Amino acid sequence: MIDFARVQKELQECTRDIEASGIKVSPKSDSLARLTGTIPGPIGTPYEGGSFQIDISLPDGYPFEPPKMKFVTKVWHPNISSQSGAICLDILKDQWSPALTLKTALLSVQALLSSPEPDDPQDAVVAQQYLKEYQTFVGTARYWTETFAKASSLGVEEKVQKLVEMGFPEALVRSTLDAVGGDENLALERLCS
Amino acid sequence: MEDYGGSDDEYCYYDDDQEEPMDGIENEDSDVLGSARKDSTTKVITKESLFDAQREDLRRVMELLSLREHHARTLLIYYRWDVEKLLSVLVEKGKAYLYSNAGVMVDDNLSSNIRRCSSSSVSCEICMEDVPADNATRMDCGHCFCNDCWTGHFIVKINEGQSRRIRCMAHKCHAICDEAVVRNLVSKRHPDLAEKFERFLLESYIEDNKMVKWCPSAPHCGNAIRVEEDEVCEVQCSCGLQFCFSCLSSTHSPCSCLMWELWIKKCRDESETVNWITVHTKPCPKCHKPVEKNGGCNLVACVCGQAFCWLCGGATGRDHTWSSIAGHSCGRYKEDAEKKTERAKRDLYRYMHYHNRYKAHTDSFKLENNLEETIKGRVTISEQRESALRDFSWVINGLNRLFRSRRVLSYSYPFAFYMFGDELFDEEMTKEEREIKQNLFEDQQQQLEANVEKLSKVLEEPFDQYSDDKIMEMRMQVINLSVVTDNLCNKMYECIENDLLGSLQRGTHNIAPYKSKGIEKASELSTCWSNKASDASNYLPSDDISSGGTTILKRDRPSGSGSSSNDNINECSLSKRTRKEVSGFFDLNMPAEVIDRN
Repeated sequence: MIDFARVQKELQECTRDIEASGIKVSPKSDSLARLTGTIPGPIGTPYEGGSFQIDISLPDGYPFEPPKMKFVTKVWHPNISSQSGAICLDILKDQWSPALTLKTALLSVQALLSSPEPDDPQDAVVAQQYLKEYQTFVGTARYWTETFAKASSLGVEEKVQKLVEMGFPEALVRSTLDAVGGDENLALERLCS
Repeated sequence: MEDYGGSDDEYCYYDDDQEEPMDGIENEDSDVLGSARKDSTTKVITKESLFDAQREDLRRVMELLSLREHHARTLLIYYRWDVEKLLSVLVEKGKAYLYSNAGVMVDDNLSSNIRRCSSSSVSCEICMEDVPADNATRMDCGHCFCNDCWTGHFIVKINEGQSRRIRCMAHKCHAICDEAVVRNLVSKRHPDLAEKFERFLLESYIEDNKMVKWCPSAPHCGNAIRVEEDEVCEVQCSCGLQFCFSCLSSTHSPCSCLMWELWIKKCRDESETVNWITVHTKPCPKCHKPVEKNGGCNLVACVCGQAFCWLCGGATGRDHTWSSIAGHSCGRYKEDAEKKTERAKRDLYRYMHYHNRYKAHTDSFKLENNLEETIKGRVTISEQRESALRDFSWVINGLNRLFRSRRVLSYSYPFAFYMFGDELFDEEMTKEEREIKQNLFEDQQQQLEANVEKLSKVLEEPFDQYSDDKIMEMRMQVINLSVVTDNLCNKMYECIENDLLGSLQRGTHNIAPYKSKGIEKASELSTCWSNKASDASNYLPSDDISSGGTTILKRDRPSGSGSSSNDNINECSLSKRTRKEVSGFFDLNMPAEVIDRN
């Protein structure tokens, strides 16, 4: 059974020093088992200025089992799948310790953004590019940040309005945007499918 | 244990018979051999003796490093129960390195009984609650968390199958948790999981230890086998199964494990059939069924009615002469195809040669197993006759010799197939070398084969109808042939080890050595239940924890400790019986030197 008392405390703790860390964790629904984390792209990296949303789902054994995390925002990084957003990070797997928290885990993910480990890649294509054509890699990563991680920085109302103007019903637009974590392009994709 | 039935009981019977004063010499010898047998290094480890089996290693490490049991166990699990390896790491890299690698934290200031955290209340980093200090536990590494969180952590890890190395909850702390704490806390909430944990810990001795392996019997007999020095050997479990300790398949010496694996695969594969089809048939150009040419000229007609040219496989008309087909010419020579066919044909014949002989001997082996029954019947009849001859152990000895050499003989064919083929050792020998070696080996193989067949023939004689003189004659023959075949087997193994496999440059092929006495029967660990119970309680961590320790032992023995005296009797009588069997078995395998004296 998930230790919800602890999750609650973690959330409070996180809100308390959001100024310092910039890391935000908020529940998706009432259940607290599904959460969304947001981390700012580290300064001095191609991810700078972006805001990355991470889908968090807590297994039954939390905190004795690691939380499941994956990027909702598309990101170009050797240890993050450009397709699924899956993250390759040891502390989310066998190196997890119950003493870690959602915040520390997200900080580790943020640290991963600044220091990729192309020798242990999640996305082989990105890793190859990182090793062989570093400049191209930086360009692509920056472009992806611009395209995907900043679009969501537009106000939600703006996005809703834009999509409603395209002819989708407002209620559907809002729920779809919510489901994809506020990514306008993904929402459009889903609305059209 | 019930598995002891069947033929083994028969051995017992003969053994009893030999205890009669009639043949003092053999009896004496059997005693000598029996005591030698006790030194047999291969042991059967049963569910009951698993704890005792690892006690020796634990004790050694505990005494040497003055450690408590759970630390010793953690070290041994990490070093895969290789005490020598552990000691060499200790000598080369020092104690600190040895301990930190394995996750052992020995804090001399921390008495095992004072695990409570010092202050009156503790803030647990995991659940982020303040808990009273007596509800929290400090591990050897110094990290202190509340008992509920520890328990949750242990349960998750045990369920993940990681019982053997449960690490501390603190981030980046590699210390392994004290098994007593785990046992104690988990059993409060989940007694069944605590048992599981216990079993995992105990079974580490089998799972993580290269000198101990589960018996591969199916359905599983529950036993494991421990060998002492050489992992390359063949053993017999107390359930009766004989197997190769290295690869766990059936016994196959003098084939190496690799040769055997390849051979089994080859025999199972249809690839040889496919080979035959490629050599002897051509596909019909119309219906594509393989067509075999059964004579005549090169115009072949398929059952489907299509005619085609046997030389090129192309469809033709039916109008032809002996040497040509109307409107068809394919005289161009295709060397490549020809070579390929030739080669496939040669390989197939070669395989068939070895396979036929291998199969023939395997079949004989099966038939001779039936002979065993017949012979036992004859022995019984002969023994009841009014005659001076009462001892028929020589027949059984001869029969066992036959089984053993027949087995060697049959596996010597796949051995030769690979030894002198180009699949494994193509680059090891020149063609000439190979030929010389092959001749050498085949000479020995042929001699062995001839003598094995002779022995088999003599043993089939209906001696229960013979006069005493004739029986004595047959006895001499059987004994002589037994000695000869045993010597030949020995020589063949010598040749294999020194001249064939011993001289290989690339890769090593190890084979289980030949044993005159047959495949080594693993002996039971010599412990009695009553001993063990007291030892176990001494050994397992004391106080509240020992209850956890004894549950597993109780579980293993449904009767429980209440009736342990009863168990004790059973156990002792069982081991007595085992010993008797063993000596009986030994006696039957009387080696040459003993027979010589007769």
